[in-house]
Amino acid sequence: MFNVIVTGVGGQGNVLASQVLAAAAVEAGCRVSIGETFGASQRGGSVMSHVRISRDRTCGPLIPRGKARLVVGFEPLETLRVLMEYGSEDTVVIVNNRPNYPIGCLLGEDKYPDPQRIIEAVKKLVSTCHVLPATDLAMEAGSPMAANMVLTGALAGAGVLPVDGNYFRDTIEMLFSGEVKEINRRAFESGFKAVQKG
Amino acid sequence: MAGQEQLKSCVIDKNLCSGCGMCVGLCPYIKTFRDRVKVIHPCGQKDGTCYSTCPKTFWDIDGMDDFVFQGPRSDQALGVYKGIFFSRAAGEKAGGAQYGGTATSLMAFALDSGMVEGAVLAGGSALDPRPVYAGTALEVMAGAGSKYTAVPTLAAFNQAVGINGGRLGLVGRPCQVEAVRKMQQGCHSEAHGNRERAVGLTIGLFCFWSLTPEFYDFLAEKTKGEVITRVDIPVEGLTVTTPAGANTWPVDQIRKYIKDSCSACIDCTSEWADISVGSTESDPQYNTLVVRTVAGQRLVERAAEKGVIEIKPYPEERLPILRKAALNKKMRVIQGEGGKMPGYLKLSDQYRAEIIRQWEVLQK
Amino acid sequence: MSAHAVALDQPGRRVVLTGNEAAARGAIEAGVSFAACYPGSPTSEVLPTLARLGARFNIYTEYSTNEKVAMEAATAASYAGLRSLTICKADGFNVALDFAAAVCLQGINAGMVIMVGDDPGSHSSVREEDSRLLARTANFPVLEPSTVQEAKDIVKAAFDLSEDLRQPVVVRCTTRICHASGDVTLGDIPMVKKEATFTRSQRFVSSVKFAPGMRDKIKRAAALAGDSPFNYYTGPENAQRLVIASGPSYTYSLEALAMLGLEDTAGVLKISTTWPLPEELIIKYLIPAREVVFAEEVDSFLEDGVMVLAAKNMDRIGQTKFYGKNSGHVAGPGGPFVGELDPDIVAGCLGKVFNTPYHPPAIPNAGEARDIIEHSLPGRELALCAGCPHRASFWAIKTAVELDGREAIVLGDIGCYTLGLYRTGYNLLQTVLCMGSGVGLACGLAKLDRFNFRQPVISVVGDSTFFHAAPQALMNARYNQADILCVILDNETTAMTGHQPHPGRGVSASGEAVGRVEIESLLGGMGIPVTVHDPYDIEGSIEVICSLLRQKGPRALVLRRSCALVAVKGKKKNRVYVDQDRCIGDSCGCARFCSGVFACPANIWDSERGRARIDEAVCNGCGVCATLCPGKAIVVERTV
Repeated sequence: MFNVIVTGVGGQGNVLASQVLAAAAVEAGCRVSIGETFGASQRGGSVMSHVRISRDRTCGPLIPRGKARLVVGFEPLETLRVLMEYGSEDTVVIVNNRPNYPIGCLLGEDKYPDPQRIIEAVKKLVSTCHVLPATDLAMEAGSPMAANMVLTGALAGAGVLPVDGNYFRDTIEMLFSGEVKEINRRAFESGFKAVQKG
Repeated sequence: MAGQEQLKSCVIDKNLCSGCGMCVGLCPYIKTFRDRVKVIHPCGQKDGTCYSTCPKTFWDIDGMDDFVFQGPRSDQALGVYKGIFFSRAAGEKAGGAQYGGTATSLMAFALDSGMVEGAVLAGGSALDPRPVYAGTALEVMAGAGSKYTAVPTLAAFNQAVGINGGRLGLVGRPCQVEAVRKMQQGCHSEAHGNRERAVGLTIGLFCFWSLTPEFYDFLAEKTKGEVITRVDIPVEGLTVTTPAGANTWPVDQIRKYIKDSCSACIDCTSEWADISVGSTESDPQYNTLVVRTVAGQRLVERAAEKGVIEIKPYPEERLPILRKAALNKKMRVIQGEGGKMPGYLKLSDQYRAEIIRQWEVLQK
Repeated sequence: MSAHAVALDQPGRRVVLTGNEAAARGAIEAGVSFAACYPGSPTSEVLPTLARLGARFNIYTEYSTNEKVAMEAATAASYAGLRSLTICKADGFNVALDFAAAVCLQGINAGMVIMVGDDPGSHSSVREEDSRLLARTANFPVLEPSTVQEAKDIVKAAFDLSEDLRQPVVVRCTTRICHASGDVTLGDIPMVKKEATFTRSQRFVSSVKFAPGMRDKIKRAAALAGDSPFNYYTGPENAQRLVIASGPSYTYSLEALAMLGLEDTAGVLKISTTWPLPEELIIKYLIPAREVVFAEEVDSFLEDGVMVLAAKNMDRIGQTKFYGKNSGHVAGPGGPFVGELDPDIVAGCLGKVFNTPYHPPAIPNAGEARDIIEHSLPGRELALCAGCPHRASFWAIKTAVELDGREAIVLGDIGCYTLGLYRTGYNLLQTVLCMGSGVGLACGLAKLDRFNFRQPVISVVGDSTFFHAAPQALMNARYNQADILCVILDNETTAMTGHQPHPGRGVSASGEAVGRVEIESLLGGMGIPVTVHDPYDIEGSIEVICSLLRQKGPRALVLRRSCALVAVKGKKKNRVYVDQDRCIGDSCGCARFCSGVFACPANIWDSERGRARIDEAVCNGCGVCATLCPGKAIVVERTV
């Protein structure tokens, strides 16, 4: 059983990332279950997808505390939040370094902690942490919104899951078309490479 | 150190706001609708141009004379002036002008002659007045006509300043001239920098009071929804013209619509303007014209030379009447009649004694 | 995104579907002909999935103006011999309940299923409601899936059950089923010829004479429930410790027992036919049990049903202790009747009852992280999207209300604009209750002048909510001459639930062009004057609202501008950026208006340079902030 949490803020495209992961895993012959919410949470709230990949059984939609094998964070703050609940020492973390500010911070009533400090705290919690400039890589690939595919690429390239990168590539091929496909493909590959370097 | 919070508590909430518009548009939080000026959201700033340039916050009358005229006045009734005349627009008068059309013609001339690059004034109609920025003489002419409610004209000034970089003219009420003079003295923060140099000409209007917008409800009630073609408030009373004819109501009926802030105002002839213009109270074809500063004098002389306005001497027998009206208003304020002497006004004992003395002379 | 997978005619193939897609597939496998709904999370995606495949499988789909109309339309199809589906959320079932309580007496003809989404944890609802209570009121049997696979299988089975009973059947799904995804093994798609018939001799009437027959149907449903393949037991034989679970709580219970190491001593009885209950099946497991725990979400529905059953059969089941919401043993952090369950909560509850304390694993070396979390980890409250026209509308209304100065009351209700309750909407709204309720409440407030209440009253309603629930209240305002200003925030879509069309759009559920219901003409027909304005023109909107506030009688303002998410879909966005030489930062006196007050999530603060900045990944390019910046420091590069 591989438990993966994809976390971020509504509107960042994390739901799509978890769907690509699930579709790739099923192509690879696994059973999957994803627990997620959408609706109001699209409006700037914390969004978390629980993806559970198993060779042989159907599991419930939610991952128990401390049982996430992999956490993919679209944003530093949410990554730390999720890790504290669902992470363990062995959790592998992939995190985008670009913060997404909660409205309370924009209004000046709360303070967003120094992102570097958050990342350092994450690194102290787990043995493996890949920090990626996913939004910047996505812009290089053609659109800041493709950060989700950069992180999906990193997830595939991290070598933790029992799903080969080509299943992801096939899934992207199947799901998208036109310019979006091209951007997503470039974004996926840059994430895939970046995680192997770092 | 004072800002939006004090502006709200000391001016707006105390009904002292005259609706001049000086504070509107400096920030996103002070807004107007009709004559109403409201703080819609606290900005949290301790120090603000909105407070420091407000004509209803601290100011010093002696200091203002020094700043504008480099010296004290001798006439407590009308302030410093170089000359007083009857005047009217020569040739074609702006269509909407209520009396002699002097203010409109002079500002249009100032624009044509390059003295200013734009002007702010109370445009729209008597029933729907609004602040207007005029970039051409024609646009100035379009704004002609008396307005009876307070129009926050200086909101248009704040909007126009810095757009073209040129100097602006103001046709405004006494409180608006005062606000501009305060601003010119440097009572504003660096963020609103260089505003003092943005003012090229101030034409101040005579103003004994302005009305709250509830006055329109009164008008609508009195005219029973008929189209109003003209409103005027001469000494006889409020005169409203509709297609059915003209009707007059005594001034007493509209007194309750006079803004509280106007009862606490000591200036009815725009004493710190370059030029002041008002009615004559005797000849509807003419205006009273008070020339105050060197710049004002130059403009009036050139306008007369070029045949833009006609000037004739002010009838000697009318001067005591005008002075008495002006002093009566001051006396009401400094003696606390109809309103306490407002705390923001700083008036030296010497000025105060002189006002009383000159008033007493006129009583005899 | 998986319409392709939903449609695959490959029985036995495993594909990933969401719960909603699986339910749609179940309906297709059952040969559904007619589907109608008003969208509501968490079930909003069922109908669009069917609509995309309508042509292929000969299914008529529609977005109805509200849930009652949807249920009526679906019932008509059933009367005419076609299998029909209506989909709603629990709140929507309330709207349809008047009809449901009438239709249940005589029943229906062809199979009719009502899929209801309950939202434990109120992820996208203003409250939690248990639709099983409503279904029982309407005498509709209830089935509950526990997995995504079951969402498909149970919807299919529900059609058969409904047709057998000639009674509508409710499939109750929670958010964790609807929005979950999982691999689903596909079944057969029948190829049946569908003919609608409704003859002159058919009659369907709500009459008490049908009540005994209806009772018989429910008895038969209980008997059939005893043989349902969706009720089953997992665990040791004759377990003394028993968990009775429904919905996703079943999988949580299994996982919780495993985490506690109790899987060999305790069993889980999963019940999908939660009303009427399979009595003998339950009694069979109650007899050996000494401790029984109920795991279900929202109300104590299963628990109450089993307790009544146990009381009736005390002699057979003997000494048994029951633990659930009523005893307070099954409770999340918010208490027994608040919030959803998860494996950890269930493990905690079972651990307490079965005397095996559960300690969730804590991550080590968490000192620094805990420090950040406890001292400075800010929460995330909901916010209107970047470029949302509602933000502009709310700022205009807020400003106009302040300028008006008479303490206008602002009432709202359900939609994206509900966020007007929060900081993102300047805390403007004073009521949020149910669809369209703001308008009705406004009618009442506006008639209190004789009791010296003279503040202006504004109701704010979204376009989709307007069509769903506002016309009746507005007619009331006109008839009773209520002095209200109804502001219709028209973003030309049902944004909150995923941009479904509505009567004002001119597009049907299946994407065909249809006649529009114009808000202006509708209100005009009622005799209510309407003004239309673009909310992105904030200064203009302020002036319009100020003027309208001074008028008498009912009046309406339509603030019309497409949802920012729809407007940019598939298009190149305008580029908006801050000219950091013009922005003078904190010396401006604007108190960081764009990021700190107007609070669009795309307007951020560049603390390194002490200047405003635009987050290009978030910005939707509306450019409204540029019109409000007092320093005119925000630049918009238009793409068109």
